[in-house]
Amino acid sequence: MTQASVGQSLRVVGALARRSIDQTFRRPQFLAPILLFPTLLLAINVGGAGRAVDLPAFPDVGGFLDFQLAASTLQATMLAAVSGGVALALDFELGFNDRLLAAPIPRVAIIAGRLAGTATMGAVAAVWFLVLGLVFGAEIVGGPAGALMVIALSALSAAAFGGLGAALAVRSGQASVVQGTFPLAFVILFLSSAFFPQELMQEPASTAAAYNPLSFIVEGLREPVLYGISGETILEGLGGIAVVGVVGVVATALAMRARLRAA
Amino acid sequence: MTAALHLDAVGALMRRALNELLRVPGAAIPGVLAPSLFMLGLTGAFGELTELRGFETDSFLSFILPVSLVQGATFAGAATGVNLARDIEIGWFDRLLAAPTPRPALLAGIVLSASLRSLLPITGVLVLGLALGANWPGLGGLVVAVGLAFAFAAVAASWTVGLALRFKTQAAAPLMQASMFVAVLFTTSYAPQEVLTGWLATVARYNPVTRIVEGVRQGFVGEVTWAETWPALAVLVVLLVLMAAFALRGLRHAGD
Amino acid sequence: MAAVETNALERSYGDLRAVAGIDLAVAEGEIYAFLGPNGAGKTTTVRMLTTLLRPTAGAARVAGHDVVRDAGAVRRQIGVALQEAALDPLMTGAELVRLQATLHGIPRADGRWKAAALLERVGLSDASGRRIGTYSGGMRRRLDLAAALVHEPRVLFLDEPTTGLDPASRQAIWDEVRNLNAGGTTVFLTTQYLEEADQLADRVGIIDEGLMRVEGTPGALKAQVGSPHLELSLADGGAERAAPVLARFGEVQPPRDGVVQVGLARGAAQIATVVLALDDAGLTVESLELVQPTLDDVFLAETGRHLEGADEGEADGDPEAEPAGADARP
Repeated sequence: MTQASVGQSLRVVGALARRSIDQTFRRPQFLAPILLFPTLLLAINVGGAGRAVDLPAFPDVGGFLDFQLAASTLQATMLAAVSGGVALALDFELGFNDRLLAAPIPRVAIIAGRLAGTATMGAVAAVWFLVLGLVFGAEIVGGPAGALMVIALSALSAAAFGGLGAALAVRSGQASVVQGTFPLAFVILFLSSAFFPQELMQEPASTAAAYNPLSFIVEGLREPVLYGISGETILEGLGGIAVVGVVGVVATALAMRARLRAA
Repeated sequence: MTAALHLDAVGALMRRALNELLRVPGAAIPGVLAPSLFMLGLTGAFGELTELRGFETDSFLSFILPVSLVQGATFAGAATGVNLARDIEIGWFDRLLAAPTPRPALLAGIVLSASLRSLLPITGVLVLGLALGANWPGLGGLVVAVGLAFAFAAVAASWTVGLALRFKTQAAAPLMQASMFVAVLFTTSYAPQEVLTGWLATVARYNPVTRIVEGVRQGFVGEVTWAETWPALAVLVVLLVLMAAFALRGLRHAGD
Repeated sequence: MAAVETNALERSYGDLRAVAGIDLAVAEGEIYAFLGPNGAGKTTTVRMLTTLLRPTAGAARVAGHDVVRDAGAVRRQIGVALQEAALDPLMTGAELVRLQATLHGIPRADGRWKAAALLERVGLSDASGRRIGTYSGGMRRRLDLAAALVHEPRVLFLDEPTTGLDPASRQAIWDEVRNLNAGGTTVFLTTQYLEEADQLADRVGIIDEGLMRVEGTPGALKAQVGSPHLELSLADGGAERAAPVLARFGEVQPPRDGVVQVGLARGAAQIATVVLALDDAGLTVESLELVQPTLDDVFLAETGRHLEGADEGEADGDPEAEPAGADARP
């Protein structure tokens, strides 16, 4: 690939990413799951279960809000990924992707553009919840560097989950199928240490959370807020993102190959 | 048109509204799955909260199951509003509006279908929760719980129907879902009143749906008493009247 | 009493006047066609007449009842088949017609046999037990028509009833409309097809930009913009020599590209005489064509524009592509 064609490909990816972001902000059905519902759930979790910090075995944290911010951020990134998948599937259903496939652009740009958009939404979600947390009294122990770390991890995890959503969209070509995974996002999140410390969860959720990659990701998002930046926790978080990301990339590539072969 | 013919119209509209569940494979699943997953997920995550002083039971599952019953009812209600918004967008609703069926009969058909529809998640949550060890509420507790949830589905449906008529687009779906989410969960959903903290404690105290949640819950965490039941019934009647008026107003002004 | 009458009927959306004050009167038993391009205000007018949209000014009466004050009475007298053929894909054809019967207060047993009879009449008996989602476009239109007729309405409103249909389906709808009208039903239809208005309507109202431009029988409207003319091409370059012969019958246009044109006040009735006269003059006609004024000529005379799709057998575009705010809900 020449330098010019790399530049052109990046421009294509950027244009498709911008379109993906525009789509999200222009449709309440896409934006609400990403920001509104996680915010409402955060409010309820903190107001309803906030006294959990009084439990003897609860970790020493600034407040239950500080503890919950990572869960809300992760939830938002997962839902951003599902929304992105739904939008991509709609593009297949309505024929927009045929327009892209008929254009002289690398096939990978179609997916990369969508994932770049989803990653941006992940970053937006992280900023949203960090600001919300600060407004309502949370403290980011890791300071600005910690906040940047959270934003970066959130963007990466959004892209990783976006790969799974994209794989399903490419495979099925139907928005309703991708839409149907919304509940799954909640299930997997509940089976992690997103909302409560793993050692205090009830079985079998506690055991599931011990091995769930999402637990590692959410701990990576939580650490900079609660305790400052810890290399080991961040690496574990990146590891969890990598596991999800690899599965997503492989699944998407296979699905794309099957679709193009069948076309 | 006689009253009997109005009832015929109500029945026909109910039957049509339930077609989606009966004729689309898997359409019923999300409505049952969502409150069930919520119940299981919250129990797994927050089960230890019952260790806190103020909880009247040591079974968080029994505490949260009633909330999922009410949630199931509100999902059915929200789905009704979203479906109506879709029907408005595709023009199907024009057919009903251009017919001489009285507006209250149109509304009754749509709203009662939501109550019927809510029996699916209500049953699903009950079976799952009881199978996993939730406290048996007794026959009286069961009747009260199911009855209140069933009727609350009509309240939710009236509200979302009013929203659908106001906005006339499926883009209003998040508003319908979020408002129901807030109404049910900004109550004593997670913890008893005395365990709640800060703003939620205040909101739950004054949220009328809290009385309904408590009414549904009573058999699962203790005894069914008239003192807990009549406030729930009163709130239900008031909300039903208000939301039905809201929806009827929307129907009467559908052509504005 | 007119079956449909309006008085300065208006519908505005903010500053946009989708219908800018329409006066019309449709007699009982008439087929009235409302002709105009996309976005002219046809659908908005029909929605007001069928009580689905409230006028912002003016008044309208249908079957003797005010559409705002007596909306319920209007709904009992009208049948409506709208542009979007508002159908539920999960229902069967029979279920839809029976539901419509129920909504109009027809007892269940009566509704069943009426539905069966109507479905037979529109040729959908065999398909009546199938889900509407499996129906073709033509079948959906016929089903919509059957549902609109179940309560034997006095006035039938058809909003672009044949848009998007193939010629055979279109003809079937036209035949059914004529049959209904023969039985006494007043039909108010909107269309962007010249031929449909020409073929079906007793009277045509041409609407553009929310205003009624002109109204009358198709023949009278066309006569207003001119008379037919005959275009002839003659063998052996006889066009120049034909001119003085043709001048006896009407105004002759200078020949162009070997074709000469003569106006014929009495149209086709004069063709034989013209040909004989040319033959007597030793001139051989190679081809001839009688060109009649069309409703598009009428539209052109009134607005300075051609009606969309006038040159084609089918209308251009999708009726749902009418500009937002014109005939769509805000």
